[in-house]
Amino acid sequence: MGRLFPVILLGVGALTLPYSVQRVFLDTPIERTMGTVQKIFYFHVPLAWIMMLLAVVCGVAAGIQIRTRSERAEATAIAAAELVLVAGLGVLLTGPIWGHATWGKAWTWDARQVTTGLLWLVFASYVLVRHFGAAGSERLAAALAIFGAVNVPIIYYAVKIWKTTHPDNNVVGSLPPQMWASLWPALGGLLAMTLGLLWARIRLERAEIALDEAWVGVEDAPQEA
Amino acid sequence: MPAVTPLQLRAIGKRFGRLAVLRNVDLTVASGEIVGLIGANGSGKTTLLSIAMGLLPMSDGERWLGGRQVDDISIEQRAAMAFVTHTTQLYARLTARENMELWLSLRQAADASVGEIEPVLRRLGLGDAIDRTVGTFSRGMMQRLCLARALAGRPELLLLDEPFTSLDPPGRKRLAEVLREEADRGLAVLLSSHDYDAIISVTDRVVLLSGGRLVGEVVRADERGAEGFRDAVLALGRGSTREAAHA
Amino acid sequence: MREAALSTLPRAKNAPMRLPRQAWLLARNDLRQEMREWELVATAGFFTLVVLVMFALAFATLSRDAQVLAVPGMLWLTVAFVGALTLTRIFDRERESDTLRALLAAPVERLAIYLGKALVTLLVLLGCCAILVPGVVLLFPAAAPLAEHPIQTVTLVVLGCLAYTSVGTLFAAGLATSGGKNVLLSVILYPLTTPALIFALVATRALIENHPDFSKYLSQLAALDIVLVGLSGWLFESVLVGTGARRAPTTRRRRG
Repeated sequence: MGRLFPVILLGVGALTLPYSVQRVFLDTPIERTMGTVQKIFYFHVPLAWIMMLLAVVCGVAAGIQIRTRSERAEATAIAAAELVLVAGLGVLLTGPIWGHATWGKAWTWDARQVTTGLLWLVFASYVLVRHFGAAGSERLAAALAIFGAVNVPIIYYAVKIWKTTHPDNNVVGSLPPQMWASLWPALGGLLAMTLGLLWARIRLERAEIALDEAWVGVEDAPQEA
Repeated sequence: MPAVTPLQLRAIGKRFGRLAVLRNVDLTVASGEIVGLIGANGSGKTTLLSIAMGLLPMSDGERWLGGRQVDDISIEQRAAMAFVTHTTQLYARLTARENMELWLSLRQAADASVGEIEPVLRRLGLGDAIDRTVGTFSRGMMQRLCLARALAGRPELLLLDEPFTSLDPPGRKRLAEVLREEADRGLAVLLSSHDYDAIISVTDRVVLLSGGRLVGEVVRADERGAEGFRDAVLALGRGSTREAAHA
Repeated sequence: MREAALSTLPRAKNAPMRLPRQAWLLARNDLRQEMREWELVATAGFFTLVVLVMFALAFATLSRDAQVLAVPGMLWLTVAFVGALTLTRIFDRERESDTLRALLAAPVERLAIYLGKALVTLLVLLGCCAILVPGVVLLFPAAAPLAEHPIQTVTLVVLGCLAYTSVGTLFAAGLATSGGKNVLLSVILYPLTTPALIFALVATRALIENHPDFSKYLSQLAALDIVLVGLSGWLFESVLVGTGARRAPTTRRRRG
């Protein structure tokens, strides 16, 4: 079951994503003011949501890890943090493309952009600490992830009030219902892919831990025999 | 004298990823007993002491202090323990008196015991250096100051990691005497060392740690006299005793 | 006779004054060492001066309007630079002869270690701000409102530095005990302290522009301080030593 689950999820993603691409490009009307480039919205927005979700998952898992030293939570935190980087890269690449085409400016220091960018940096530093930190730094990294997750609303709000002192109107207009309807399959596909990858990565991390234990067990064996 | 056992480690295991530093270590230190821990570099001596002191979380096993299983060592319990390591752990910019003052005032509600500093330092031969900056001390003096600091808190359990390193022969003798005096008053001592002569002179029991396992033990009372104990410990150190072979 | 014994049960509220007392003792200990050499204050103060001069050279020709935007940035960037330097130094000092580990083994509240270190860092940062803020006012005419509202400026600087210190101390201490490399401190510190710095930035700009919302921003910064101090205090012990093994050993052996 545990092995099958990510495969099923990835399979669902593999079916849903082409469908959503077809739907987005062929069955959804072209947005009047932004034109074809608006199609990127159907992938950009779900990716951003997924990124935020993963950041929160990582923060919560890190909180559990630091309290109970559960290795399942630790594996989840690592997997989620790495996928935050992947999803974040998607968001940070698609965002400026869209922005450049519609606002004429790739980076406008909008609250959401800055939040995403900083969040990505925080999780990049999490992954760096996990990789290069000495023994015992996993707790430090966990605290980092918790702070990262808590920072999300704070940064968002901070940049928002920062911008209000110098307003900059870049509000994305409200969308007609059929465009929203096309968003859901894309979200579903991407979410299935993400969860599949997350699951597989957690399993990999836990397998690594189990392998370490097995290794130690083998070394112990002669004594017990 | 308390009837409870100050320190009992049961089936302690410690791993850093794939590296098993300690495996299934059982060790008890009774009141008034001085136990020596020997083993090659990397055999897990420092890790074991750190776990006993609560500075490292263990991967497996139980730690019992004063007859009770303890996961998180409380402040009251830490007040009854002391740890002297081979790093000096002193503030080099402060004087011996200031270092001691900080320690004693941290552990007590009032600065009641500050008056006890001088006698303790004098006992360890630091009477002339009380108001000198620790940075000007020799390693041996620092080590004695560390021990003075540890004893000033009147602990029930004293852990020492390589206490004999960088002490001159008279210093070693003095340390051994002080430890024996304290043990006779009920202190439980666990010390690690490479120095067989020092270990033989002071301990009641010696255990050998190898590859993270306890592989042998020599008890002074079981041997015939000081010479017998000495030979048994040296044999244990060479890893060729009956116990080691058995394990 | 003994004030504590191995067999004592941990008592919940036996020493309510212990935490502030120990925190103060530890901070005083750091200050005492500092007064022997003035190393931290001298290096951090001089570094502040250097950064200030660099900023002056780089931005002296800015128009007044541009200065309004640039001054808050200079102020808080300098705080971030000096803060990273100070935190590194403060914990290096505890690492030199492993005194931090001695403190962890001693009967000291872990939170007291955090509070003591945070207090010293805060004092050093505030000392640097005492050079920095007048310097900025002197060099950039647009920063004059900072001098005209001294009480607001001081409150803002204290709250901003506190926000930085609360996060910084936690991670600097964590790195110091994990035996990690100090390079990682910058990697962690800059992204994590950004929200605090942005808040301080917003409030500073409001102060310079005489914006009516300044007091609102200031109280938000204070709220952020509370959140950051609370979160750091809550995490400090776990980051430093890790919690005990709660898992039963038998379940572990079954898998191995």
